[in-house]
Amino acid sequence: MSRKFAIRFALFVGLILLINTILDQSFKAFSVHNILNEKMDEQFTEYNDTLKFLALGNSHNCINTHILDKSFNYGSPSENYIQSYYKLKHILETTGKKPEYLLLQSDLSSYGEKISNRYEYNSYWIKYIDYIELAKVKDDKSILTKWIEGKFFSYAGNYKDIQLSIVYRIKMKNIEMYNGYRPHRDYKNFADEPNKRKTAWNKAQLILSGDVYFDEAIKHYFDKMMQLCQEHNVKVILIRYPLTREFDEEEKKIVPADKLYTEVENIASRYNIYQGTFDYHNLYFDNPEYFFDPDHLNIQGSDLLTQRLKKDIEALESNLAEKNILALD
Amino acid sequence: MLFNSIEYLIFFPAVVALYFSIPDKWKWVLLLIASYAFYMSWKAEYVLLIMFTTLVDYFIGLQLVKEKEKKKRKFLVALSIIVNIGMLAGFKYLNFFTQSVNDVLGAFNSNVSSPIWDILLPVGISFFIFQSLSYTIDVYRNNAPAERHLGKFALYVSFFPQLVAGPIERSTSLLPQIKKPAKFSEERLVSGLKLMLWGFFKKLVIADRLGMFVNYVYENPSQHAGITIILATVLFAFQLYSDFSGYTDIARGSARILGYELMINFNRPMTATSLRDFWNRWHISLTTWFRDYVLYSLPYIKGNQVKYHLFYRNLVITFLLMGLWHGASWTFVIFGLIHGVMLVLETITEKARTSLYDYTGISKSATLKNTLGLLFTFSLVTVSLYFFRANSLADSLLLLKNSLDFSTMSEAIAYILKSNEVLFGILMVIGLLIIEHMHSKRNIIEAIASKPIMVRWSLYSGFVFFVLLFGVLHENKFIYFQF
Repeated sequence: MSRKFAIRFALFVGLILLINTILDQSFKAFSVHNILNEKMDEQFTEYNDTLKFLALGNSHNCINTHILDKSFNYGSPSENYIQSYYKLKHILETTGKKPEYLLLQSDLSSYGEKISNRYEYNSYWIKYIDYIELAKVKDDKSILTKWIEGKFFSYAGNYKDIQLSIVYRIKMKNIEMYNGYRPHRDYKNFADEPNKRKTAWNKAQLILSGDVYFDEAIKHYFDKMMQLCQEHNVKVILIRYPLTREFDEEEKKIVPADKLYTEVENIASRYNIYQGTFDYHNLYFDNPEYFFDPDHLNIQGSDLLTQRLKKDIEALESNLAEKNILALD
Repeated sequence: MLFNSIEYLIFFPAVVALYFSIPDKWKWVLLLIASYAFYMSWKAEYVLLIMFTTLVDYFIGLQLVKEKEKKKRKFLVALSIIVNIGMLAGFKYLNFFTQSVNDVLGAFNSNVSSPIWDILLPVGISFFIFQSLSYTIDVYRNNAPAERHLGKFALYVSFFPQLVAGPIERSTSLLPQIKKPAKFSEERLVSGLKLMLWGFFKKLVIADRLGMFVNYVYENPSQHAGITIILATVLFAFQLYSDFSGYTDIARGSARILGYELMINFNRPMTATSLRDFWNRWHISLTTWFRDYVLYSLPYIKGNQVKYHLFYRNLVITFLLMGLWHGASWTFVIFGLIHGVMLVLETITEKARTSLYDYTGISKSATLKNTLGLLFTFSLVTVSLYFFRANSLADSLLLLKNSLDFSTMSEAIAYILKSNEVLFGILMVIGLLIIEHMHSKRNIIEAIASKPIMVRWSLYSGFVFFVLLFGVLHENKFIYFQF
């Protein structure tokens, strides 16, 4: 190799690395998902009140923290149990904050292969996830590339996120977020959807997997999450969030719900911190107007659900208190 | 290890750096170790299959040179064919044949059924077996010398850039390059990197993006109709092309950097103006393999005369086998059958079509004639892809039937227009066709290379980041790996 060529080649590689660093850092600073997730982290760090309820899950989790006192909604878009476990581990082991209750999303879509293999926003998740451990659990070395991606190539393959971020920058002047909850699903209504069935079918195909409805890695991390809560004496309530009738019918064509929940119950009931499952999946079957899309409540729906959840938790607590009194007697 | 994985991005530069820093006499050893390691990254024990094929064909090759008796030579080449095809049959087709027999017996209410085996298909088995087999046939036909060096022959069978999805190289082309390793060349490094980048663009930006829509339709055939299915099938044609030719570009680029020139496997097949033209442009290494070792090996001459009916029969048989080569399923058999039959029809109607073109005046305009030919060929290829892509014969037929149902057309168009990925995918396909067309008129690579350094570097780095930003980076497998 000639000296001139070697210098030119090195310069070109240097140029590529420089542009890559600029793009990577710009994306991290600019991406709306990163901004929202970081803001949530910031709010959690600043949260000084007693933490009674900590909600984890993905975008289905819509608990309004204004309504449920002493709560923090730490769920983030497309979050799965793997990510929730590492986030919870971080909270319990390093922040010094301990919730009394963990409100953990437990939808049909929480357990399948598709959610297990969703690795989005790695540039945010690298601070929580132990990718080496995850690669061992999944027996898949390629997971380590997610760390590389998150660390050095955050923008790669994320043009849609950039597009979305530009729109958000134009539309959103400031981010309204209170204890992790962000009321934002107000710009469309599922009741106005002309073809509800098809929309529900499309969405169900996107997030549900029938062949592997209870993914082994998800099972592993669900169990680890329950163990972690047991060790730290955090009570766990599983929540099935409301769905539209159409979506529920479509998802049940894909996932054997009874079989799945029997398996979930078998794992959860091994731990005495488990308080039961609040099943709201059919709560608003006759109210499409409470939904933003087939599987997400809108602001009104979120408020109504949180009020209902609040009452149910009160009932659960009074039952527990009654049980304790009986036990003392 | 996929080409589009971080592992390969570490593995390949490491191999290149080592390769050019060791003496020539050890280069084959390094490449052989690298090739076996590359293959073992899928399923380590399957490397034994490559070793077995290598040993069998190596010794048969040597025996063929020693043996002068025609009968014994025939026996030796037959042995190579039986062992290789037997291995392919065992790993790839056993369950297909068993299932088919079970289905037939079941249709006659028979309680007898053979067990279905749990066999994991070895990646690229059809490629390395065909490559190895071509060697023994060539030696038998005295078209190639027998290779005496076992290590170099082993490298010929397993050379990692083309091991799992071709191009299927001939010993006369690859072995001499293995025997005389090229020195490092700056020109080849740059040219190989450009070719690899182009391949990554086709795979990551086009193929994997189109694949999302194609899968959405083909995995749920009963849910779609009309324009959605037609568009998905048309886009599948481009997905398949971008995926496979993208792989070939990365393979050729990798090999070129190491100093090896692999054959061109695609030559703008989407611009073919007849089916014959299409097969001269599509997966050329496979088509020429079947032409040389199957089509022309089947009898079609009696006395001194070419018997056309026999030749046409052979053509159909060859394409049936070529269909089956792609996968152990009736859908691939039908795919091959369609192409075989249509090629025969195209050949026997050639005179009539020429007369028709003359009569209608079409032949006066080459552009019109070519456009009609292109549309007809593309439509035919697309129809055959209904069988190629569908998960079962029943699915293909359902999709074909539903393609004619246009009752939900406005809804489908609305969905497509709302889908950014589909629209972006289509835009990229158009871009690909334009660039390929321009390149056929004037070498774009050379044109860019003649520009000032700032322009060149801007273009190259811009393209690198375009691929990184707009690529679908989920390490999707290359479609042809399954074959």
